[in-house]
Formats: sequence, structure tokens, C-alpha cells
Amino acid sequence: MNFEFSDDEQQLSEAVQRWVERGYGFERRTAIAKAGGFSAEAWGQIAELGLLGLGTSEDDGGMAMGPVAAMLALEALGRGLVLEPVAAVALVAASVLAQAPADVRANWAPRVASGEARVVLAYQERAARYRLQRVDTKAAKSGDAWTLAGTKSLVPIGDQADAFIVSARVSGNADDPAGIALFLVERAADGVKTQGYALQDGSRAAEVTLANAPATLLVAAGPAFAALELAVDTGIAALAAEAVGAMDKLFELTADYLNTRKQFGVPIGTFQALRHRIADMKMQLELARSMSYYATLKLGEAPAVRRRAVAQAKVQLGQSARYLGQQAIQLHGGIGMTDEYIGSHYFKRLTTMEMQFGDTMHHIGEVSARMQETAGVFA
Amino acid sequence: MDLDFTPEQQAFRADIRSWVAASLPQDIAHKVHNGLRQSRDDLQRWAKILGAKGWLGYGWPKEFGGPGWDAIERHLFEEECALAGAPRIVPFGPVMVAPVIMAFGSPEQQKKFLPGIASGDVWWSQGYSEPGSGSDLASVKTRAIREGDKYIVNGQKTWTTLGQYGEWIFCLVRTSTEGKPQTGISFLLIDMKSPGVTVRPIVLMDGEPEVNEVFFDNVEVPVANLVGEENKGWTYAKYLLAHERTNIADVNRAKRELERLKRLAQSEGLMDDPRFRDQVALLEVDIVALEMMVLRVLSAQAGGKKALDIAGLLKIKGSEIQQRYTELLMLAGGPFSLPFVWEAMEAGWQGDYIGGPQFAPLAANYFNYRKTTIYGGSNEVQRNIVAQTVLGV
Repeated sequence: MNFEFSDDEQQLSEAVQRWVERGYGFERRTAIAKAGGFSAEAWGQIAELGLLGLGTSEDDGGMAMGPVAAMLALEALGRGLVLEPVAAVALVAASVLAQAPADVRANWAPRVASGEARVVLAYQERAARYRLQRVDTKAAKSGDAWTLAGTKSLVPIGDQADAFIVSARVSGNADDPAGIALFLVERAADGVKTQGYALQDGSRAAEVTLANAPATLLVAAGPAFAALELAVDTGIAALAAEAVGAMDKLFELTADYLNTRKQFGVPIGTFQALRHRIADMKMQLELARSMSYYATLKLGEAPAVRRRAVAQAKVQLGQSARYLGQQAIQLHGGIGMTDEYIGSHYFKRLTTMEMQFGDTMHHIGEVSARMQETAGVFA
Repeated sequence: MDLDFTPEQQAFRADIRSWVAASLPQDIAHKVHNGLRQSRDDLQRWAKILGAKGWLGYGWPKEFGGPGWDAIERHLFEEECALAGAPRIVPFGPVMVAPVIMAFGSPEQQKKFLPGIASGDVWWSQGYSEPGSGSDLASVKTRAIREGDKYIVNGQKTWTTLGQYGEWIFCLVRTSTEGKPQTGISFLLIDMKSPGVTVRPIVLMDGEPEVNEVFFDNVEVPVANLVGEENKGWTYAKYLLAHERTNIADVNRAKRELERLKRLAQSEGLMDDPRFRDQVALLEVDIVALEMMVLRVLSAQAGGKKALDIAGLLKIKGSEIQQRYTELLMLAGGPFSLPFVWEAMEAGWQGDYIGGPQFAPLAANYFNYRKTTIYGGSNEVQRNIVAQTVLGV
């Protein structure tokens, strides 16, 4: 057992931290959020750091250094509240492209890794809530050609992406996982319409409407659902790392505030009730960090083991994010409520993350459905 | 001991209900029921409707033109208004400063200020907190120096709710630096149109400019606008805080929002999900317990009995419940609570709602309600007060 990071991992982490601190300050972030929540310029800088190749193999032009390196990079991005969806493209979409037919993979994976092409997963539907298997988008085949019809919601940078990885139904009822396949649809294709908007955390998303849009099959029905689950689990592990980075920074801000804000002639950090609160926040932060490691280290396991571990991690992350976020605002008092204070943006980011890829209650259900007679890291 | 309202109280409630049903503009009720943005005009329109009926100052005694209702009647009025979807009465005039003017103001002040408050014509703001004085309110630094028949006021107030609409502001100002901080504070009424008053809105995390900073730069205030005696302001402030507490639990609104939560959960299929449903059930228990606690306090008040020592708990539990229902509403919305479309919180917006109009305000409301455990004396301060009452030290 070893919870140390390798030199390479450490170097990557420091490089991302440096960029976040010097190149992605609160002012720049605010400007990007005001301009819609995505900056092509920042995206280019992220590509230069090599982060967009983190989930793509060297053979496909990437620089995959394994899940631990990805975790550290995401943690650093989370500390800086970076709006650009690095994990969604570099890890989530890449995990599906890695399973695509060779010609499709060769066409897209290297360009994703270099930052030339932005590909994102489009799976959310109106009736689905957090159930991946609930897919109403229909796939139809005529000769060798596929077309898709339906609407996907909350697609990250949907109106700024070059292509979507779309879950669509080739057979079965609306909840049948076996009837789902994964397709690639280019945004510029006929029948594709997007409507962009901001999310609560200032990041960008879109509704994507597909009206018999031409599509390329990535993973056929059957294996596709497993590929979708892997993509989402990869996304959850990345989200956990990002959330830990955000919590880490918000915790620091709050501790600083307790030491500097004075009332009744003393720093408010001298009041026992608030000291206990900051201790509880530290507890939630370290539990979350531990479960972020756990999710990342279990990503390579068999699907059943992986899913359970990732769901457990998401439950902890959700609880920690909510407690830490709410208490950070409370301990800051009025100033924590304001838009001009950075702390409120961490809180909104953490709230948003709790509801992405399934909220806490959803994942309690996932864990509950997978409970076994014995439990524990080595059970 | 019994739980029933008397036949007179029930008749009173029925009268209120039919009047509210006939008088509350439906466009305003629609906004309240759906958590949409309320404009100055919405709040002002409802205030004036109540004012014309003589009910804006619904807690006022008859001698000052109020209805003279007892605590139970006031509660029934609040409940009927809340359930019908009336906006909350902006409290700074009728609920906060008016009782202070009645109790400590001069007859001239009562004559000058109370009619405009009762009718809803004059918008009042509160000038209490300062950047350095939050929980430690007695440390206020805004200075008022007497020069002949006026005070010269310099300093800054903050967190002034809806101060951008304010016409008058009641302020705690420092008139003496001698002795304990509490003994050098005065209670001053200031015309916000006076030269030297600047209001700067503060945008909160939900994107709404709900509170303000108010700056005073050599503002001249007639001595006639001093309430009561100089340096006795802290006594009046404490009296006011006691008045702020009465409806702060806001259990009536919680009952209304619980029903909204159930409707949303139902339409999202969540009432069939025991995991979510149980959370709604737990909230329901909390609300019933809070309502029982409120009724015990009110009953003691109305019966002229000694005040129950649980009144301090109402703000704590009430605010926690407010935060919980906004949280559950947001969670019920699920992923569709996440889009932030500012215009979608405007009633009648004709654009494309993401997922449906019901989702638009859920996260913003959740973010906004984090304020409830901070304002009006943070819940940490409330717990200190409760502990002090219990322990005697």
C-alpha cells in the first residue's frame, strides 16, 4: 500500500496548479462566466498543458498517465473553479472513443487529445433523472447509415462542441439497457440543433436536438451500456477529484476568515461553536478526499466492483460537498452570500457537482442495491 | 387543553380568507406560488391594498389605527395570507420601525411617520449592520455628531435589504464613545433623499441585487428625527428585535412550500421513491412540530401569560426548515435544477424553459435561502441567547 504520488504525477499536479494560480484567477473566471462559460483561449492553454490527452493512449496521440495523474490534475482544476469541462472531454468522451471502431478512433481520439476537437457525452434526457438506462432517443438504420431522433439535455459545452457521443435506443422499451447503443454525431451535421445556456456554477451546457441526424456507430447495443457506465464512472471519479480540490480551497478560505474576521474584539475563530464547525468541515474534507482516492483506485476493477466503489464515493462526496459548502457560507456570514466574494462560487460549484452524474440520494440507492454481506476496503 | 380554534377565531379566519381571495392580485400570487421574481411594484401594490384595508400594520393596536388583533388573530391573518400566495409584507416599516415609533417616538413623529407606513406609501429600510458590526451589533461606528438642531452623520451601513427602494431608513448611530458600546447608540430616522446618502446594491449569489450598502457622507438629519432619548438607541433596538422575532419562524409559508414540494415530487415521479418520499415526510414532521411550538407561544401571548422561554427557538428551527424545503425542492428538480436562465424567473417570460418552467427558480431559491440562518441574528447568536436563557449566565 502506498498513497504517495510518483514524481511524474507530482510534476503534472504542480504544473496545473501553477497555471490555475497564474492564469485562471477569479477575475478571468468571472469574465469567462459572463461571456457564456467557455473560453476557447483557456481551452488552448489547457491543451498545451497536455491535459486533454490524459485519457487517450500514447498510440492515439494522448499522454495517458493513469487515473491517479488525472485525479491530481482535476483536483488542481477544481481548486481554481475552472469552468472548461476538461474531464468531460479528456476522460469521459475519451473512454468511449477508446472503444470505438479503429477508423473512428483514429479520426477523433488524436484530435481530442490535442484540443482540436471537442467531443462530449450527451446522455441526459428529460424523463431519465439520473437513470442511465432511461433513453427515449431513437436510432434508426437504413442500409448502413444510422440516424438519430430525440433531445439530449445538459450537454457540457453543447453549443461549443464539435461532436457528441449520444446514447440512443435501437431496441427495447424505454428502460432497457440492452437496447442502447452509443453513436457519434457531429454538431455541424444536418438535423442537429443546439440551445446553449449557463449552469448554476457558470459553466456552459446546451440542449441538443437531433432530428434524424446522421450518426456513426461507436459501440453496439449490448456492450454499449457497459461502455456508458464506464464513461460515467470515469466522470464521477474525476468529479470527485475536482470537488475535493474545490472543497480544499473553500476550506482554506473559511479557516482564513475565522482567523481574520473580528467581532466582540476577537477573531471569530476563537469561539468554540465555530471551532467545532471548522473541525467538522475538516472531517468532511478528509473523508471526501479518502473516497476520491478510493474511486480513482477502483476505476480499473471489474464493472460490478467499480460501480459499487464509485457510488460509495459519490455518496460521501455529495454529503461532504453539501456540508462543507453550506457551513462555509454560514461561517462567512453576509459576505458569503455575495456574488462578488469567491466563496459563493465554490458553494454553487459544489452544489452543481452534487447533482451531476446522480445526486447523493440516487447513489445511496446504487450502494443499497449492491450491498453485500461483508464490507470494507478489503472485504 | 385543546387544539381547536374558537368559533370566533374560525369566523375571523373565514373573513380573512374571503377578503384575501378577493383582494390579492392573481399575477402576484402566481409569482409567490412559483418562486418567481417579485418586483418593487408587486410588493408595493400588495402593501397598498393591505394599507387601504387598514391591515398593513396588522400588529398595530387600535389607538394607532391598527386592527387591534391578538396574537392568535395575527397568526391566522399571516397564515391566510401565506397560503393564498401573498408576498411577505416588507417588514421594515409596519413591523419594525412603527412599533418603536409608537413606543418611544414623540407625538409629532407618530403623526408624521405612522400614516405613511400604515398606507404602504412610504418604503422604509433598516440601517443596522455595518461592515465591522454583524453579530456584534453594539459595535456600530456610523457617527452622528450634533450641531445645533441637526446631526451630521458619517459612516456606512450594509446588508440593507431592498434599500434601493428605500425612502426612509432607521439607523443605529453612534452619538457617544463613552462607556460601554451599548450606551452610546442612538436611533435616528433618516430621509434617504438627503444629500450625502448613497446606496450601492450588492448582488447576491443568486444574481439578485437584494441587499445594499448605504453610505452617509456628512448627511444632515434634523434632531427632530431622533427617536426617544440620545444614547438610548440600544434599548429601542432590542425592543425592535423582539418584534422582528414574532413571525420569523414563518411556519405558514413552510406549510405552503411543503405542498409545493409534494406537487413537484409527484410530477417528477418521486413520491414513488421511498428514499425521497421519506425526506419529505421528515420535513412534514418538522413543520408540524414547529407549528405546535408556534401555537404554544402564541397561545401564551394571547392569554397574557408569561412569555414561554422557547420563543428563541422559533427562529432557529424556522430558518432550518426554510433551508430544507428549498433544498428538497432543488433536489426534486434533479438535473433540471441546474440550468441558470435569469430571464426564466420573470413571470410571463416567453423563452425556452429548460425542462419546464417549474425548475427555473429552484436552485436560485436554495442559494438565496442560505441567508435565513445568517440574518436577523445568526443562528449561532440565537443559540447563545437560548443557552443564556437556559443557563442563566
